[in-house]
Amino acid sequence: MKVSLFITCLSDMFFTDVGKNTVEILERAGCAVDFPASQTCCGQPAFNSGYLKEAKQSMKQMMRSFRDSEYVVGPSGSCIGMLKEYPKIFAGDKEWEEDARDLANKSYELTQFLVDVLGITDVGSTFKGRVTYHPSCHMTRILGVKDQPRKLLQNVKGVELIELPVAEDCCGFGGTFSVKNPDISREMVKEKSRHVSETGADYLVGGDMGCLMNIGGRMRREGKQVEVIHITEILNTH
Amino acid sequence: MSVKIGEAPYNERITKGIENDFMREAVSSAQGRFRAGRLSQAEELGNWEDWRRLGEEIRTHTIENIDFYLQQLSDAVSNKGGNVYFAETAEEANHYIQNVVKKKNARKVVKAKSMVTEEIGLNKAIKDLGVEVVESDLGEWILQLDEEAPSHIVTPALHKNKEQIRDIFAKKRGYDKSDDPEELAAFARKELRKDFLSADVGITGCNFAIAESGAITLVTNEGNAEMVTTLPDTVITVMGMERIVPTWEEMEVLVSLLTRSAVGQKLTSYITTYGGARLEDEVDGPDDYHLVIVDNGRSKILGTEFQAALHCIRCASCINVCPVYRHVGGHAYNSIYPGPIGAVITPLLDGYDDHKELPYASSLCGACTEACPVKIPLHEMLIRHRQIIVERENKAPMTEKILMNGFAKWSSSPAAYKISTKLARPALIPWIKDEDMIENGPGPLKGWTDVRDFPAPSKKSFRAWFKERESEQHERSK
Amino acid sequence: MNVQNKESFLNNLADRLNRPRRTQGVARPDWSVYPQYEVFKGASQDELVEVLEKQCEAIHTDFIQTDQMELPIVLEETIRKYDGKSIIVSNDPRNEKYGLNRFYKNLDENVNVHIWDPELGKGNQVIAEQADVGITFSDITLAESATVTLFNNKNNGRSISLLPKTYIAIIPKSTLVPRMTQAANQIHEATLKGETVASYVSFISGPSNSADIEMNLIVGVHGPIKATYILVD
Repeated sequence: MKVSLFITCLSDMFFTDVGKNTVEILERAGCAVDFPASQTCCGQPAFNSGYLKEAKQSMKQMMRSFRDSEYVVGPSGSCIGMLKEYPKIFAGDKEWEEDARDLANKSYELTQFLVDVLGITDVGSTFKGRVTYHPSCHMTRILGVKDQPRKLLQNVKGVELIELPVAEDCCGFGGTFSVKNPDISREMVKEKSRHVSETGADYLVGGDMGCLMNIGGRMRREGKQVEVIHITEILNTH
Repeated sequence: MSVKIGEAPYNERITKGIENDFMREAVSSAQGRFRAGRLSQAEELGNWEDWRRLGEEIRTHTIENIDFYLQQLSDAVSNKGGNVYFAETAEEANHYIQNVVKKKNARKVVKAKSMVTEEIGLNKAIKDLGVEVVESDLGEWILQLDEEAPSHIVTPALHKNKEQIRDIFAKKRGYDKSDDPEELAAFARKELRKDFLSADVGITGCNFAIAESGAITLVTNEGNAEMVTTLPDTVITVMGMERIVPTWEEMEVLVSLLTRSAVGQKLTSYITTYGGARLEDEVDGPDDYHLVIVDNGRSKILGTEFQAALHCIRCASCINVCPVYRHVGGHAYNSIYPGPIGAVITPLLDGYDDHKELPYASSLCGACTEACPVKIPLHEMLIRHRQIIVERENKAPMTEKILMNGFAKWSSSPAAYKISTKLARPALIPWIKDEDMIENGPGPLKGWTDVRDFPAPSKKSFRAWFKERESEQHERSK
Repeated sequence: MNVQNKESFLNNLADRLNRPRRTQGVARPDWSVYPQYEVFKGASQDELVEVLEKQCEAIHTDFIQTDQMELPIVLEETIRKYDGKSIIVSNDPRNEKYGLNRFYKNLDENVNVHIWDPELGKGNQVIAEQADVGITFSDITLAESATVTLFNNKNNGRSISLLPKTYIAIIPKSTLVPRMTQAANQIHEATLKGETVASYVSFISGPSNSADIEMNLIVGVHGPIKATYILVD
């Protein structure tokens, strides 16, 4: 199966291991992975801030980049969730609405793709540790991906999965929200950090680097020992 | 007259909220209970998504035909000997009610909890006549004695603790017993009973007006709305114009959604219906009845992309799941409608000038949209507000505009984007500490690194790695 | 009978909706789902009794099941439990049917029973306000929420279930339905036929309560402080 990787700008520049792991996981699952190099950002920072015109420029670039792809897979619930909104955003735009629908229909978050499209719930990895999972808001509420990451984690040898209290609560990242409303964002991430500590887990795992960067950055600042990692790291450890 | 409650600027309100430890703990524990109650009720029904869908369909149909149903309601109330007044503005509504109160030579008005009368500032209008107004909902009464605004639309005194309440009762009403909630409530019962019996006029809000029969539905636990509509000879209902349903059957569905979503109950202790003047030989209920239907900015929302905001049934479940509300409390919104629904409707009712920060007071986590029993896309409406603030109102900060303009250029040009993947790290080198973290970031990063660390960009971007890997594979295959 | 500002107000709404005013021809559509009819669908009366009894616990309401023969005994015990010296009851034809008129007459002479009397006007409210116990029949009883539905009229004032310190509802088993859906449906059908069911309809689920002080549940605020449901076979 041919799969085009949408790396997301954050992982392209900051968390390159997420991308490497994603490629290897997909290849092990029998996919041929390509990387359309003209891809940029899904446009969410501008869209969520109210800059529709600016966001659309970036979205058009994305549609151009993935026009020939069969499947688009990315390691982020939030960014894939943004692609899923394109049809609404370009509704009535004759030039782009078909592209928007096409991209939305063929885009999947990685765990969603593995479980729902490939039918894989055990990637055959081994990872030793007590792990708690943060289900990020856009992954669950916009994309509707709730069970897939859990299913995959449960089948990793050595993982002890511990429930995160009030897991569904937002970590306070919210993209530009964290900079525009730093005080509220701080209180939210403090609370999330406390909940993570309460689990006694060695690892906090999630499917969105934005949230993980926020929680991890806060926990590091608080001097906490929990390691914050993307789910691909666990799924690609043997 | 508007939904606005004060003059303090946004940042000050946020700080004040965050620093109020008691309030935050109270809100947090209340949210926990509300949420658990709502979820267990939804689970018990088993098909909650069907209920939400039905709720949405009912609200959509009703608001699309609001002129028809209001007319039907008006006819029905008038057939039952009631008076109906359509008020375009808060001033018109207040003026009409003042006239009724004056004509009755009333000395005391007793009220059941009503957000719309808060919104139009009715209490002040009545007090201006030299007439006493008594709020009879326990929470509202506490706030009235303390001259404070509600911080939540279902439990208005959520931010007060029992010691504070005891002190208010002592100072304002000579209360001399303990801060035991039972004792406090018994005192309120005794005091307010006198008011119910002596009031000349009763005023209530409206949860749902039933168009087919002209009945007003009120949802309470305390029974105060029954008192207010049973004892005084003159009763006035004030309803926001969108609080309407076609028939008893839709009322029932929406009440089922409301009580579960608001307080996790199957039904509240009292679902009171009333309307019109009492019949001959009847004792209870008014002989003079008035229904005041209030627009006050609502019609501006009709026919716009925000129309679904009028579907709101005021259950507060969006407020009860909102993490932002939890940390800043209701007063930080500076509107009698706080939380996500408040952030959506306050700028619509009262303009962006005083409320332009509200649509940004959300991480767009979508918990509100998920909780809403009538499926209002609240977080999407917040984004739409932001677009209006940027494009139409031109109220976004200049730095942000420059930044976003840069974003558009960067993200629409693969070449520019690619260069940035190479330059990001060198540009931040001065701030990168060992372990590849930034603890004191420059410019826009400062807000971030004030409270958390920021990762340094990778030495090599993913795309560079992928390209190298591809060419290696290519070499090997040769 | 006075309606003011209607035309301009409603015309404005139609304008805002970008269409001509709708004054007729609007009908409720068929909804895509009707989950309300699924609740306790096909449950027997006895199953509904179980639901009712269980829910009574949740709403802090005492529940007693009896038959017509035993009703006076149960009622007397309940009145005693509430220390009822003054009682107000609705002027309901069912009082006679259930033998209650005689029962009220024969109650202990220290117990004062007032049967709602339209002739007495506001005097009824004064008596209700002083009463220890109010007693009414339930017209429709909702199992799911343990709710009694009262059709208030000139012989059955709302004050009876509202003003006394405690409240007793007599529930004929035949009035039991799954939930509020069936009550709403019945009232809607009557409305369609142009019948007036009642001036006021109250749906009452147990004693009054409040959680306005630190979210603590306080049972008994403005309305009755205690309530008992007596289900009669």
